[in-house]
Amino acid sequence: MRMGGIRCEHHSRSIVLENCLGVVVQHYSSNIVTRFLTQVRRRRNEPALVWRHADVSYGALHRRACAAQRWLRSLGLPEGAPVAVRASKTPETIALILALLADGRPFLLPPAGLAEETLAALLDKAGCATVLAPEPGQFGPEHDDFGDEDGELRVSARPESIGFMLTTSGSTGLPKIVPLTAEGTGHFVDWAAARFNIGPQRTVLNYAPLNFDLCLFDIWATLSAGGRVVLVETDNATRAAYLYDLLERHEVHVVQAVPMLFTLLAEGKRPLPSVTHAIATGDALTKRGLAQLAELLPNARLYNLYGCTETNDSFLHKIDPAADHTPLPIGRPICGVEALLVDPGGEVLVGPGIGELYVHTPFQTPGYTDAALNTPAFGPHPTYANDLRYFRSGDLVRRTADGTLTLEGRADFHVKVRGVRVNTQAVELALLELDEVAGAVVFALPDQVAGNALHAVIHRRDPESLHSLAVRAHCARRLSRAAVPTAIQLTDEPLPTTSTGKPDRARIKQTYLEGQR
Amino acid sequence: MSHVQTIKQFVLDEFLPDVSGGDLTTDYDLVATGVIDSLGLLKLIAWLEERFELPIDDIELDPDSFRTIDAIDAFILRAEPATAG
Repeated sequence: MRMGGIRCEHHSRSIVLENCLGVVVQHYSSNIVTRFLTQVRRRRNEPALVWRHADVSYGALHRRACAAQRWLRSLGLPEGAPVAVRASKTPETIALILALLADGRPFLLPPAGLAEETLAALLDKAGCATVLAPEPGQFGPEHDDFGDEDGELRVSARPESIGFMLTTSGSTGLPKIVPLTAEGTGHFVDWAAARFNIGPQRTVLNYAPLNFDLCLFDIWATLSAGGRVVLVETDNATRAAYLYDLLERHEVHVVQAVPMLFTLLAEGKRPLPSVTHAIATGDALTKRGLAQLAELLPNARLYNLYGCTETNDSFLHKIDPAADHTPLPIGRPICGVEALLVDPGGEVLVGPGIGELYVHTPFQTPGYTDAALNTPAFGPHPTYANDLRYFRSGDLVRRTADGTLTLEGRADFHVKVRGVRVNTQAVELALLELDEVAGAVVFALPDQVAGNALHAVIHRRDPESLHSLAVRAHCARRLSRAAVPTAIQLTDEPLPTTSTGKPDRARIKQTYLEGQR
Repeated sequence: MSHVQTIKQFVLDEFLPDVSGGDLTTDYDLVATGVIDSLGLLKLIAWLEERFELPIDDIELDPDSFRTIDAIDAFILRAEPATAG
């Protein structure tokens, strides 16, 4: 094992998935679609999807995918030209994605709710001249009655073919486009299915919208492995009673979702005994969330899963509800993942301490569509100890003396104030604890004396409900001296947000700080 | 004689332009809350020297003496007899 490397769940140096968990990796050229077609041959009449409480069989989904492939052909798109798919989560859209994957045609799944201008810029960046938006029912079920013997979906994708083009939920401006290869996503679905016992007679919930990387796990790994996916309708995704009923009625076994789903399900106040595996990902579980999870899912193994869109999942922690406390550890690298902690001086951190997490996974993107963004996001091992290409996650991870790894926050939010390390996000979280605070963003601005001076911009709920003295007193109670903002600006206007609902830091800075200086 | 009002007005004008006088109590911790940082402390001391003609160079400076308006007031009272003596 290399010095400073973080040992994988099962093997220290395993790059090859075959070594792990006894997974038999199929032929090199196999991908999500070829795996799906194997399932279609084996279990034509078994359910692949549950949509609005009705089953869609593997055979029916395959027929719709064939119809989608014929439709794509009829459009006369240029060879290999990327397209965008702007459609809600339905069996039709899933069939269309299968057809695009089979064709080896790159497709962008833009986030919902983008401003028209942002969407246009994103499509332009992705090189998408065509936007596909199939009508509900366009590829079936009337197609179910004929064409059954039409043959199979034709697969021309190669291992290096780009299929999915997902986007990062960037905190500033235009989301970055993350293309994924057929080979990378193929490796990922093998890992997910094997690790969480996804396969025939197993039911997996899909909570995330189609453009989220989480779908590679719950939709695409399940369809590759012969299981059944219960699709949550995006419009109902925050209705607790609907969600609880869906899981209970369809006896879901595997749930992978952001902690918010588990919080919503816990409102049912009754356990869900069918769930055997529950995976929280995408956000930190709170203390209350952790306690609820064990009560809600008494028969489930519980996991905390860490990953980024660029690398897909990379760390897994099996939760012990009796012994674990928040913040939960991120756990160990999953199979084939190589990870390092790198300190601010660029040295690989060997012992305890905090460093930026560098990750290499068998699932990772070849790089952003916009090549200018790839340095310094992707790069070699800091000391060239191997020839792997690492992704600089931007996440700061703490390693304790016993080797436990926990997430500290984003590297770009760490600054030094009077020589003391401060995370501006931690300051924001402290400000949001005040009931009167509706939104808060903290900037570090260069300061001749302090190195950095913290400037907080706060949207208060009601005019005159809050003054800076109360904010300062609260900060003094909750934060270290250096983390108390130097300047506090209160506003009665909501702070500008990005397309993904996060504070638009660039605009806030421009409006409140640069105007002022 | 108490200088609380004078000190309060200085702190408000210099460090808290957005705060009205009624909101700032004389026992509010100005140091822990970052109202007065190290640079602010230098400003405050320079103002005390000039406004109250205190020979501060001769007096030992303890940040606790400037933690609240009451503490600053007490500091002035302690320092003033020193000028007389």
